[in-house]
Amino acid sequence: MKKLLLSTFAVVALCNVASAQFSEFADNPAASQFTLSSENNTLQIGGRVSAYYETRFLKNDTNYQKKTHNGWDFKDIDLDILGKTANKFVYEVHMSLIDLAAAAATQNTANPANPGIKAAYLQYKGWPVHIKFGYDKVPYAQGSMSEIWGTPFWSHANLFGGDLFSRRDLGLTLNYRFMKDRINLYGGAYTGMGENFFQYGNDGSGRFEYIGRAEFSYPAKMKYHIIDQENSPTPVFRVAVNARYADKTQPKGYSIYADAPSAPGAYGIRIIDGKRTAYGCDAIVKYKGISATFEAHMIQLKPTLATDGLYNNTTTSKNNNVVNAGGFNTGINYNWEKKHSVFSVMYEELNTNDLYVGLQDWLYLAYAYKFSGFNSVAKIEYYIPTTEDKVQNPLHYTGQLRVGYQVVF
Amino acid sequence: MKVYILPLLLIFLVSFRQKDVPHCKFKFDHYKALKKIPEPSDIVYDKETGHCFIVSDHGILFECDTLGNIIRRAADEGQDFEGVEVKDSFIYVSDETPRKVYQYRKSDLSLVKVYSVSWGGAMNRAFESIAYNYTKNCFVLVSQQPATVVEYTSDFKELGRYKFNGTRDISGARWHNGSMYLLSSLDASIIKCNATSYEGEEFYQINVLNPEGLSFDAHENISITSDDLQRIYFFKNLPTIK
Repeated sequence: MKKLLLSTFAVVALCNVASAQFSEFADNPAASQFTLSSENNTLQIGGRVSAYYETRFLKNDTNYQKKTHNGWDFKDIDLDILGKTANKFVYEVHMSLIDLAAAAATQNTANPANPGIKAAYLQYKGWPVHIKFGYDKVPYAQGSMSEIWGTPFWSHANLFGGDLFSRRDLGLTLNYRFMKDRINLYGGAYTGMGENFFQYGNDGSGRFEYIGRAEFSYPAKMKYHIIDQENSPTPVFRVAVNARYADKTQPKGYSIYADAPSAPGAYGIRIIDGKRTAYGCDAIVKYKGISATFEAHMIQLKPTLATDGLYNNTTTSKNNNVVNAGGFNTGINYNWEKKHSVFSVMYEELNTNDLYVGLQDWLYLAYAYKFSGFNSVAKIEYYIPTTEDKVQNPLHYTGQLRVGYQVVF
Repeated sequence: MKVYILPLLLIFLVSFRQKDVPHCKFKFDHYKALKKIPEPSDIVYDKETGHCFIVSDHGILFECDTLGNIIRRAADEGQDFEGVEVKDSFIYVSDETPRKVYQYRKSDLSLVKVYSVSWGGAMNRAFESIAYNYTKNCFVLVSQQPATVVEYTSDFKELGRYKFNGTRDISGARWHNGSMYLLSSLDASIIKCNATSYEGEEFYQINVLNPEGLSFDAHENISITSDDLQRIYFFKNLPTIK
């Protein structure tokens, strides 16, 4: 506890120093992003560095007192290059250097779902339907599509953080907007391997994952920003539905679990040997600095083999060859611009396999003090597992605190 | 749990105070949808013709009547038009992404010349508006973030930079009756500024979402464009702040 107290004071002290140390950011919110222009090309170079002190409050379990989550850690060391050409091409390469370093040092075993490339794509915006090819976030789930660095939280919530479905993938995305961009449609075909594509390439099925999303915003289009930094003088909202489908039934004699063992993820449901359908809805409303969010997802899994572990040794008469998973997440935020402060509360519930007993409920509390918007910001986040799924996700801790600082340049 | 509240309080205590300037609320009278002008980002009224010139984020210059009905459009297009100004027989347009200023001939909307200007900040946080400062006889381009007023000669050689601290961003600028009026999108405000120092003197909070362009007509009524809403908002004269 003494260590925690000292560390939080140290970070707070750093934050206070930061108003001087990072005065360029305080005075110059976006000067840290650099743009080069030539006759027909514009190139922007940016990035993000953030780090925090993290502590987990371990249970009184004498057999588990490992404190690897009690100390300093990096969140981001990112570099981003974004280019536009006069003939309406857009290209971007976004790298997470900390993840690249970890992947190189551990042969990608430390964190295979974070391979270090966050975006690498080419987009053409010269036609009414915008076409994007490459690796980027897929158009599924508001919480996943929204940037976390523009919130007081340090990481995405469990529901859309990447354990239940992939957040990024290589593929082709079509985007069409109409009615003053209030209606926004996405459709795409992807490898289905998600973030694990870099490790394993395409899977043996030879089939894509298909994703679609439809949004309606009113009275104006909305970007994927959770916090109401504009302190919207009139209420604005967006509602959306999205779905994704993949048939990854493997050819005879092959198994995705053997060929790509880390691809199915923590709960074994990101990719399966069989058919997988996910659908969900989400909404956000903003007004005078307050923003409220909601989203829910249902995932229907049909593993090919009756012996698949997802069935949990249940009989076909009980499971009907179907495994379900899903959950919901809701949150509320307040941007108190005069005080440079943002307060956030989020709650979520997950069921990662309905053939196992157990639910997970999480409560997240967070606060950000913006020295220069979210470009130079101190953030503190505390989250608590209010209901623990002792079978699917047994925990050694009762809560986690992160206090740190973020600079976007 | 008290341990966690302590750092929060300490951070909170270092909050900055905003400078107190005279301010009041200023509500629009009515608005009109600009169905055929995608993402209108700036507007300027031309006393000579009685027309308005409106630019679109899609890189198009439109000549319109005062209600926003299109009369004609320029053939030569840019990438990301964000600002427009009329000076003598020419129209000047700021193209944000490539950092360029287009000079069009007012009589036929033909392109005369393209100037390059310099701004190193974020790609879409560059020059959001262009205005002519008749007090100092120079053009000004305003960058969105960091909010900065940059003065230029008539052939767009840079003269000087003035940092603006009154709002989080600037999205529009217009000289009128000896003052420079700036528009903030993030803070939804019109700021009347000293035309020499660009320091804020009066602050008008408006009820428009993402305002981008500002203009005064012959009767000193104000028009404001909102690109996200694709609308033009009509205000009466600025009220006197008591």
